[in-house]
Amino acid sequence: MKTKWLFPNRFWLIGWLVFVPSTILGLAAMYADFKIGWLTAHWLSESITITSGNSITHLMDNQDLTDEVAAIGIIAGLLLIAFSREKVEDEMIGQLRLEALQWSVYANYIILAIAILTVYDDAFFNVMIYNMFTVLLVFIIRFRWLIYRNNHILLAL
Amino acid sequence: MKNRLKVERAEHNLSQAELADRIGVSRQTINSIETGRYVPSAILALKLARVFNKAVEHIFTLEETD
Repeated sequence: MKTKWLFPNRFWLIGWLVFVPSTILGLAAMYADFKIGWLTAHWLSESITITSGNSITHLMDNQDLTDEVAAIGIIAGLLLIAFSREKVEDEMIGQLRLEALQWSVYANYIILAIAILTVYDDAFFNVMIYNMFTVLLVFIIRFRWLIYRNNHILLAL
Repeated sequence: MKNRLKVERAEHNLSQAELADRIGVSRQTINSIETGRYVPSAILALKLARVFNKAVEHIFTLEETD
């Protein structure tokens, strides 16, 4: 069967190899303020002038790109994991893929709606950060589960 | 939709894996069709019929609920 918009099977592994280090980097940047020195973009740096009373302070706001690299890496990795062809990519797998995608979009927005009602201020900013990746993450988990269940029923018969 | 895939397969002495190979799907897909968990596309139904050299209607038939 011809399937559109899917990566070749081997990209699944590449996806994991990009996703795992990017996630570790992202979490380190978010919770431990970890920065990679050479990822500081001096050409994007801005100088900030703070005036309070008679004192004037000049600060250089160095633009650190660690979190940008981590986020792009997570997105690229998740896309490759989610949309790489199965070894035998046939129409039933295609249907499971679609079902999982719809399920994950529903699940994602239900969770987001609950978060909108229960989480506020700075904490909600964290929700938004995680929400950038949850559609793909939930999709991958759901899709693997559907395939596992399908194979499991097969063994039980 | 009912199907006689298992019967046809037995008559032609084909395993699920062999049949799957011939029409380019996974063994799980053949199994899912046989157990009624998956309804194949027209293309796949025609390919299956061609393997057994039968008309599609001979292998797949509508049920009351369809």
